[in-house]
Amino acid sequence: MGLLTVLKKLKQKEKEIRLLILGLDNAGKTTILKRINGEDISSISPTLGFNIKTLAYNGYKLNIWDVGGQKSIRSYWRNYFEQTDGLVWVVDSADRPDRFADCKLELHGLLTEERLSGASLLIFANKQDLPGALSSEEIAELLDLKTIQTHHWQIVGCSAVTGENLLKGMDWVVTDISKRIYMLD
Amino acid sequence: MSRRAVVDVTPDAVLKFNKPTEKFLCPVSANTFIEFLEFRIRDVESNRAMFEVKRPSHEIDWNARDLSGSDELRKISYTFPAEFLSYKAIGTTLVFAVCPAGIKNFRMIERHYFKNRLIKSFDFTFGFCIPGSVNTWESVYTMPPLDSDQIQEMIDSPDQTMSDSFYFVDDELIMHNKASYRYST
Repeated sequence: MGLLTVLKKLKQKEKEIRLLILGLDNAGKTTILKRINGEDISSISPTLGFNIKTLAYNGYKLNIWDVGGQKSIRSYWRNYFEQTDGLVWVVDSADRPDRFADCKLELHGLLTEERLSGASLLIFANKQDLPGALSSEEIAELLDLKTIQTHHWQIVGCSAVTGENLLKGMDWVVTDISKRIYMLD
Repeated sequence: MSRRAVVDVTPDAVLKFNKPTEKFLCPVSANTFIEFLEFRIRDVESNRAMFEVKRPSHEIDWNARDLSGSDELRKISYTFPAEFLSYKAIGTTLVFAVCPAGIKNFRMIERHYFKNRLIKSFDFTFGFCIPGSVNTWESVYTMPPLDSDQIQEMIDSPDQTMSDSFYFVDDELIMHNKASYRYST
Protein backbone atom coordinates (compact mmCIF):
# COMPACT_ATOMS: atom_id res chain seq x y z
CA MET A 1 0.00 0.00 0.00
CA GLY A 2 2.26 2.75 -1.25
CA LEU A 3 -0.41 5.38 -0.88
CA LEU A 4 -0.92 4.70 2.79
CA THR A 5 2.73 5.54 3.38
CA VAL A 6 2.24 8.87 1.59
CA LEU A 7 -0.70 9.52 3.89
CA LYS A 8 1.44 8.97 6.97
CA LYS A 9 3.14 12.29 6.25
CA LEU A 10 0.00 14.28 6.87
CA LYS A 11 -0.05 16.28 10.03
CA GLN A 12 -2.81 16.31 12.54
CA LYS A 13 -4.58 19.36 11.19
CA GLU A 14 -5.10 18.11 7.65
CA LYS A 15 -7.39 15.30 8.63
CA GLU A 16 -8.92 15.09 5.20
CA ILE A 17 -7.56 16.02 1.80
CA ARG A 18 -9.19 15.85 -1.59
CA LEU A 19 -7.48 15.28 -4.91
CA LEU A 20 -9.15 15.68 -8.28
CA ILE A 21 -7.72 13.78 -11.26
CA LEU A 22 -8.62 15.26 -14.63
CA GLY A 23 -7.31 15.16 -18.18
CA LEU A 24 -8.45 14.35 -21.71
CA ASP A 25 -10.03 10.98 -22.44
CA ASN A 26 -7.60 8.06 -22.66
CA ALA A 27 -4.88 9.94 -20.73
CA GLY A 28 -4.70 7.11 -18.19
CA LYS A 29 -6.40 8.68 -15.16
CA THR A 30 -8.18 5.54 -14.00
CA THR A 31 -5.16 3.36 -14.71
CA ILE A 32 -3.03 5.61 -12.50
CA LEU A 33 -5.63 5.49 -9.74
CA LYS A 34 -5.87 1.71 -9.87
CA ARG A 35 -2.13 1.25 -10.17
CA ILE A 36 -1.34 3.26 -7.04
CA ASN A 37 -3.90 1.16 -5.22
CA GLY A 38 -2.35 -2.12 -6.22
CA GLU A 39 -5.27 -3.17 -8.39
CA ASP A 40 -5.44 -5.04 -11.67
CA ILE A 41 -5.10 -2.69 -14.66
CA SER A 42 -5.55 -5.18 -17.49
CA SER A 43 -9.13 -4.29 -18.45
CA ILE A 44 -10.05 -0.65 -17.93
CA SER A 45 -12.85 0.88 -19.97
CA PRO A 46 -13.59 4.60 -20.47
CA THR A 47 -14.97 6.22 -17.32
CA LEU A 48 -18.57 7.31 -17.91
CA GLY A 49 -18.89 9.09 -14.59
CA PHE A 50 -16.46 9.09 -11.67
CA ASN A 51 -14.18 6.71 -9.81
CA ILE A 52 -13.58 7.60 -6.21
CA LYS A 53 -11.08 6.16 -3.77
CA THR A 54 -11.42 6.95 -0.13
CA LEU A 55 -8.39 5.95 1.90
CA ALA A 56 -8.71 6.17 5.63
CA TYR A 57 -5.61 5.65 7.69
CA ASN A 58 -5.05 6.40 11.36
CA GLY A 59 -7.73 9.06 11.33
CA TYR A 60 -6.44 10.69 8.13
CA LYS A 61 -8.49 10.56 5.01
CA LEU A 62 -7.51 10.92 1.39
CA ASN A 63 -10.32 11.25 -1.15
CA ILE A 64 -9.31 10.90 -4.77
CA TRP A 65 -11.83 11.74 -7.49
CA ASP A 66 -11.18 10.63 -11.05
CA VAL A 67 -13.80 12.03 -13.44
CA GLY A 68 -14.18 10.84 -17.03
CA GLY A 69 -12.40 12.90 -19.70
CA GLN A 70 -14.60 12.40 -22.74
CA LYS A 71 -15.67 15.62 -24.38
CA SER A 72 -19.34 15.04 -23.51
CA ILE A 73 -18.50 14.74 -19.80
CA ARG A 74 -16.02 17.63 -19.44
CA SER A 75 -18.79 20.17 -18.87
CA TYR A 76 -19.59 18.31 -15.62
CA TRP A 77 -16.06 18.65 -14.21
CA ARG A 78 -17.00 21.90 -12.48
CA ASN A 79 -19.35 19.94 -10.21
CA TYR A 80 -16.30 18.39 -8.57
CA PHE A 81 -14.11 21.46 -7.93
CA GLU A 82 -15.41 22.25 -4.46
CA GLN A 83 -12.90 21.69 -1.63
CA THR A 84 -10.21 20.37 -3.96
CA ASP A 85 -6.76 20.57 -2.35
CA GLY A 86 -4.81 19.14 -5.25
CA LEU A 87 -5.45 18.89 -8.99
CA VAL A 88 -3.73 16.04 -10.83
CA TRP A 89 -3.69 16.70 -14.59
CA VAL A 90 -2.90 13.58 -16.59
CA VAL A 91 -1.43 13.79 -20.10
CA ASP A 92 -0.98 11.02 -22.65
CA SER A 93 2.62 11.84 -23.65
CA ALA A 94 2.25 9.76 -26.82
CA ASP A 95 -1.02 11.39 -27.92
CA ARG A 96 -1.70 12.71 -31.42
CA PRO A 97 -0.03 16.11 -31.91
CA ASP A 98 -3.35 17.92 -32.47
CA ARG A 99 -4.65 16.85 -29.07
CA PHE A 100 -2.01 18.79 -27.14
CA ALA A 101 -3.66 22.09 -28.11
CA ASP A 102 -6.93 20.80 -26.61
CA CYS A 103 -5.06 19.53 -23.57
CA LYS A 104 -3.44 22.92 -22.99
CA LEU A 105 -6.73 24.76 -23.45
CA GLU A 106 -8.60 22.57 -20.94
CA LEU A 107 -5.82 22.81 -18.36
CA HIS A 108 -5.45 26.59 -18.56
CA GLY A 109 -9.23 26.88 -18.40
CA LEU A 110 -9.25 25.01 -15.10
CA LEU A 111 -6.58 27.30 -13.67
CA THR A 112 -8.89 30.30 -14.00
CA GLU A 113 -11.54 28.57 -11.87
CA GLU A 114 -11.95 30.31 -8.56
CA ARG A 115 -12.83 27.13 -6.70
CA LEU A 116 -9.52 25.57 -7.77
CA SER A 117 -7.47 28.66 -6.98
CA GLY A 118 -5.89 27.24 -3.85
CA ALA A 119 -5.10 23.82 -5.28
CA SER A 120 -1.61 22.41 -5.84
CA LEU A 121 -1.15 21.24 -9.42
CA LEU A 122 0.59 18.01 -10.36
CA ILE A 123 0.97 17.22 -14.05
CA PHE A 124 1.58 13.57 -14.83
CA ALA A 125 3.27 13.14 -18.23
CA ASN A 126 1.95 9.61 -18.48
CA LYS A 127 2.78 6.72 -20.85
CA GLN A 128 6.54 7.29 -20.73
CA ASP A 129 6.88 3.56 -21.45
CA LEU A 130 5.50 4.04 -24.99
CA PRO A 131 7.86 4.56 -27.93
CA GLY A 132 7.43 8.10 -29.24
CA ALA A 133 6.32 9.47 -25.88
CA LEU A 134 7.37 13.09 -25.42
CA SER A 135 9.56 13.88 -22.42
CA SER A 136 8.14 15.80 -19.47
CA GLU A 137 10.21 18.83 -20.63
CA GLU A 138 8.57 18.69 -24.05
CA ILE A 139 5.12 18.33 -22.47
CA ALA A 140 5.84 21.30 -20.18
CA GLU A 141 6.68 23.34 -23.28
CA LEU A 142 3.56 22.25 -25.22
CA LEU A 143 1.27 23.02 -22.28
CA ASP A 144 3.03 26.32 -21.61
CA LEU A 145 3.46 25.45 -17.95
CA LYS A 146 6.09 28.13 -17.29
CA THR A 147 3.41 30.81 -17.59
CA ILE A 148 1.52 29.38 -14.60
CA GLN A 149 1.91 31.83 -11.71
CA THR A 150 -1.31 31.13 -9.88
CA HIS A 151 -0.63 27.61 -8.60
CA HIS A 152 2.22 25.60 -7.13
CA TRP A 153 2.91 23.10 -9.88
CA GLN A 154 5.18 20.21 -10.70
CA ILE A 155 5.43 17.96 -13.75
CA VAL A 156 6.44 14.32 -13.34
CA GLY A 157 7.08 11.88 -16.20
CA CYS A 158 5.48 8.56 -15.32
CA SER A 159 4.04 5.31 -16.54
CA ALA A 160 0.83 3.90 -15.09
CA VAL A 161 1.72 0.55 -16.68
CA THR A 162 5.17 0.15 -15.10
CA GLY A 163 4.30 2.24 -12.05
CA GLU A 164 7.36 4.46 -12.63
CA ASN A 165 7.27 7.73 -10.65
CA LEU A 166 3.61 7.48 -9.63
CA LEU A 167 4.33 7.57 -5.92
CA LYS A 168 6.92 10.28 -6.45
CA GLY A 169 4.21 12.49 -7.99
CA MET A 170 1.62 11.65 -5.34
CA ASP A 171 4.18 12.32 -2.64
CA TRP A 172 4.91 15.76 -4.11
CA VAL A 173 1.27 16.79 -4.25
CA VAL A 174 0.40 15.55 -0.75
CA THR A 175 3.53 17.19 0.71
CA ASP A 176 2.83 20.46 -1.09
CA ILE A 177 -0.74 20.51 0.21
CA SER A 178 0.28 19.83 3.78
CA LYS A 179 3.00 22.54 3.67
CA ARG A 180 0.52 25.05 2.31
CA ILE A 181 -2.07 24.29 4.97
CA TYR A 182 0.65 24.53 7.61
CA MET A 183 1.66 27.99 6.39
CA LEU A 184 -1.91 29.26 6.42
CA ASP A 185 -2.20 28.35 10.04
CA MET B 1 -47.27 2.50 0.00
CA SER B 2 -46.09 6.00 -0.70
CA ARG B 3 -42.78 6.69 -2.28
CA ARG B 4 -41.61 8.77 0.61
CA ALA B 5 -39.83 7.51 3.69
CA VAL B 6 -42.19 6.16 6.36
CA VAL B 7 -40.87 8.60 8.93
CA ASP B 8 -38.84 11.71 8.41
CA VAL B 9 -35.43 10.08 8.25
CA THR B 10 -32.71 12.67 7.84
CA PRO B 11 -28.94 12.12 7.67
CA ASP B 12 -28.60 13.76 11.09
CA ALA B 13 -31.14 11.38 12.60
CA VAL B 14 -29.40 8.33 11.14
CA LEU B 15 -26.03 9.49 12.47
CA LYS B 16 -27.46 9.26 15.98
CA PHE B 17 -28.65 5.66 15.67
CA ASN B 18 -26.86 3.38 18.13
CA LYS B 19 -28.36 0.04 17.21
CA PRO B 20 -29.76 -1.62 14.07
CA THR B 21 -33.21 -0.45 13.09
CA GLU B 22 -36.06 -2.90 13.53
CA LYS B 23 -37.63 -2.09 10.18
CA PHE B 24 -36.67 -0.68 6.84
CA LEU B 25 -37.17 3.05 6.96
CA CYS B 26 -38.26 3.61 3.36
CA PRO B 27 -40.09 1.56 0.75
CA VAL B 28 -38.17 -0.13 -2.07
CA SER B 29 -40.10 2.12 -4.46
CA ALA B 30 -38.37 5.23 -3.07
CA ASN B 31 -35.35 4.49 -5.19
CA THR B 32 -35.94 5.85 -8.66
CA PHE B 33 -32.40 7.22 -8.80
CA ILE B 34 -29.71 4.56 -8.72
CA GLU B 35 -29.10 0.94 -9.57
CA PHE B 36 -26.29 -1.11 -8.04
CA LEU B 37 -24.21 -2.89 -10.65
CA GLU B 38 -21.34 -4.43 -8.69
CA PHE B 39 -20.20 -4.86 -5.14
CA ARG B 40 -16.84 -6.22 -4.06
CA ILE B 41 -14.92 -6.65 -0.83
CA ARG B 42 -11.16 -7.22 -1.04
CA ASP B 43 -8.19 -7.76 1.20
CA VAL B 44 -6.02 -4.83 0.16
CA GLU B 45 -2.63 -6.39 0.96
CA SER B 46 -3.15 -9.43 -1.26
CA ASN B 47 -5.69 -7.75 -3.59
CA ARG B 48 -7.82 -10.87 -3.16
CA ALA B 49 -11.61 -10.57 -3.53
CA MET B 50 -13.46 -11.91 -0.49
CA PHE B 51 -16.88 -11.28 -1.92
CA GLU B 52 -18.09 -10.23 -5.35
CA VAL B 53 -21.47 -9.77 -7.02
CA LYS B 54 -22.08 -8.33 -10.47
CA ARG B 55 -25.02 -7.73 -12.72
CA PRO B 56 -24.45 -9.38 -16.06
CA SER B 57 -24.94 -6.07 -17.87
CA HIS B 58 -24.47 -2.39 -17.07
CA GLU B 59 -27.40 -1.46 -19.33
CA ILE B 60 -30.39 -0.30 -17.30
CA ASP B 61 -33.85 0.28 -18.71
CA TRP B 62 -34.99 3.06 -16.39
CA ASN B 63 -38.59 2.80 -17.58
CA ALA B 64 -38.91 -0.87 -16.76
CA ARG B 65 -37.38 -1.30 -13.32
CA ASP B 66 -39.08 -3.61 -10.86
CA LEU B 67 -39.56 -1.63 -7.65
CA SER B 68 -41.82 -4.14 -5.98
CA GLY B 69 -39.00 -6.19 -4.43
CA SER B 70 -39.59 -7.80 -1.05
CA ASP B 71 -37.67 -6.90 2.09
CA GLU B 72 -35.74 -10.14 1.82
CA LEU B 73 -33.93 -8.64 -1.17
CA ARG B 74 -32.73 -5.76 0.98
CA LYS B 75 -31.00 -8.04 3.47
CA ILE B 76 -27.76 -9.82 2.92
CA SER B 77 -26.03 -12.33 5.14
CA TYR B 78 -22.27 -12.59 4.72
CA THR B 79 -20.08 -15.45 5.81
CA PHE B 80 -16.40 -14.61 5.87
CA PRO B 81 -13.43 -16.74 6.84
CA ALA B 82 -12.29 -15.86 10.37
CA GLU B 83 -8.95 -14.59 9.02
CA PHE B 84 -10.93 -11.62 7.67
CA LEU B 85 -10.89 -10.23 11.20
CA SER B 86 -7.11 -9.99 11.19
CA TYR B 87 -6.66 -8.29 7.82
CA LYS B 88 -4.95 -4.92 8.04
CA ALA B 89 -6.90 -3.12 5.32
CA ILE B 90 -10.19 -3.83 3.57
CA GLY B 91 -11.49 -2.26 0.38
CA THR B 92 -15.21 -2.19 -0.44
CA THR B 93 -16.14 -1.25 -3.99
CA LEU B 94 -19.56 -0.16 -5.14
CA VAL B 95 -20.40 0.36 -8.81
CA PHE B 96 -23.71 2.08 -9.53
CA ALA B 97 -25.67 3.52 -12.44
CA VAL B 98 -27.42 6.86 -12.16
CA CYS B 99 -30.83 7.71 -13.66
CA PRO B 100 -31.05 9.81 -16.85
CA ALA B 101 -31.95 12.92 -14.84
CA GLY B 102 -28.79 12.75 -12.74
CA ILE B 103 -28.57 13.46 -9.00
CA LYS B 104 -27.79 16.76 -7.36
CA ASN B 105 -26.62 15.49 -4.00
CA PHE B 106 -26.03 11.83 -3.20
CA ARG B 107 -24.86 10.67 0.20
CA MET B 108 -24.36 7.33 1.94
CA ILE B 109 -24.27 6.63 5.65
CA GLU B 110 -23.45 3.17 6.94
CA ARG B 111 -23.60 2.14 10.59
CA HIS B 112 -21.90 -1.06 11.78
CA TYR B 113 -22.77 -2.67 15.10
CA PHE B 114 -21.58 -5.61 17.13
CA LYS B 115 -24.01 -6.80 19.80
CA ASN B 116 -25.97 -3.57 19.47
CA ARG B 117 -22.89 -1.42 19.98
CA LEU B 118 -21.70 0.95 17.27
CA ILE B 119 -18.27 -0.15 16.02
CA LYS B 120 -17.91 1.85 12.82
CA SER B 121 -19.71 4.57 10.93
CA PHE B 122 -19.17 5.70 7.36
CA ASP B 123 -20.51 8.96 6.04
CA PHE B 124 -19.69 9.77 2.45
CA THR B 125 -21.04 12.54 0.26
CA PHE B 126 -20.80 11.81 -3.46
CA GLY B 127 -22.52 15.06 -4.26
CA PHE B 128 -23.39 15.51 -7.90
CA CYS B 129 -23.80 12.43 -10.12
CA ILE B 130 -23.72 12.87 -13.90
CA PRO B 131 -27.00 11.98 -15.72
CA GLY B 132 -26.87 8.41 -17.01
CA SER B 133 -23.42 7.82 -15.55
CA VAL B 134 -21.77 4.69 -14.19
CA ASN B 135 -19.70 5.40 -11.09
CA THR B 136 -17.33 3.51 -8.87
CA TRP B 137 -16.46 4.15 -5.25
CA GLU B 138 -13.90 2.20 -3.31
CA SER B 139 -13.49 2.83 0.37
CA VAL B 140 -10.19 1.52 1.75
CA TYR B 141 -9.89 1.47 5.51
CA THR B 142 -7.68 -0.07 8.10
CA MET B 143 -9.36 -2.55 10.40
CA PRO B 144 -9.40 -1.74 14.09
CA PRO B 145 -6.86 -4.08 15.71
CA LEU B 146 -8.70 -6.82 17.58
CA ASP B 147 -7.15 -9.03 20.25
CA SER B 148 -7.70 -12.79 20.17
CA ASP B 149 -10.51 -12.65 22.76
CA GLN B 150 -12.41 -10.11 20.70
CA ILE B 151 -11.90 -12.15 17.54
CA GLN B 152 -13.17 -15.28 19.31
CA GLU B 153 -16.21 -13.41 20.58
CA MET B 154 -17.07 -12.28 17.06
CA ILE B 155 -16.64 -15.80 15.69
CA ASP B 156 -18.83 -17.15 18.51
CA SER B 157 -21.58 -14.62 17.79
CA PRO B 158 -22.86 -15.24 14.26
CA ASP B 159 -25.09 -12.50 12.82
CA GLN B 160 -24.53 -10.22 15.80
CA THR B 161 -22.31 -8.07 13.63
CA MET B 162 -24.81 -6.05 11.61
CA SER B 163 -24.98 -2.98 9.47
CA ASP B 164 -27.56 -0.54 8.14
CA SER B 165 -26.81 1.31 4.90
CA PHE B 166 -28.76 4.49 4.20
CA TYR B 167 -28.70 6.30 0.87
CA PHE B 168 -29.94 9.87 0.57
CA VAL B 169 -30.78 12.02 -2.43
CA ASP B 170 -31.03 15.69 -1.45
CA ASP B 171 -31.26 14.56 2.19
CA GLU B 172 -34.23 12.31 1.51
CA LEU B 173 -33.89 8.59 2.24
CA ILE B 174 -34.21 6.63 -1.01
CA MET B 175 -32.71 3.29 -0.06
CA HIS B 176 -32.08 1.29 3.09
CA ASN B 177 -30.24 -2.04 3.12
CA LYS B 178 -29.26 -4.34 5.93
CA ALA B 179 -26.46 -6.84 6.33
CA SER B 180 -25.41 -9.37 8.93
CA TYR B 181 -22.02 -11.03 9.20
CA ARG B 182 -20.66 -14.33 10.48
CA TYR B 183 -17.13 -15.60 10.58
CA SER B 184 -16.30 -19.26 10.04
CA THR B 185 -13.21 -21.11 11.18
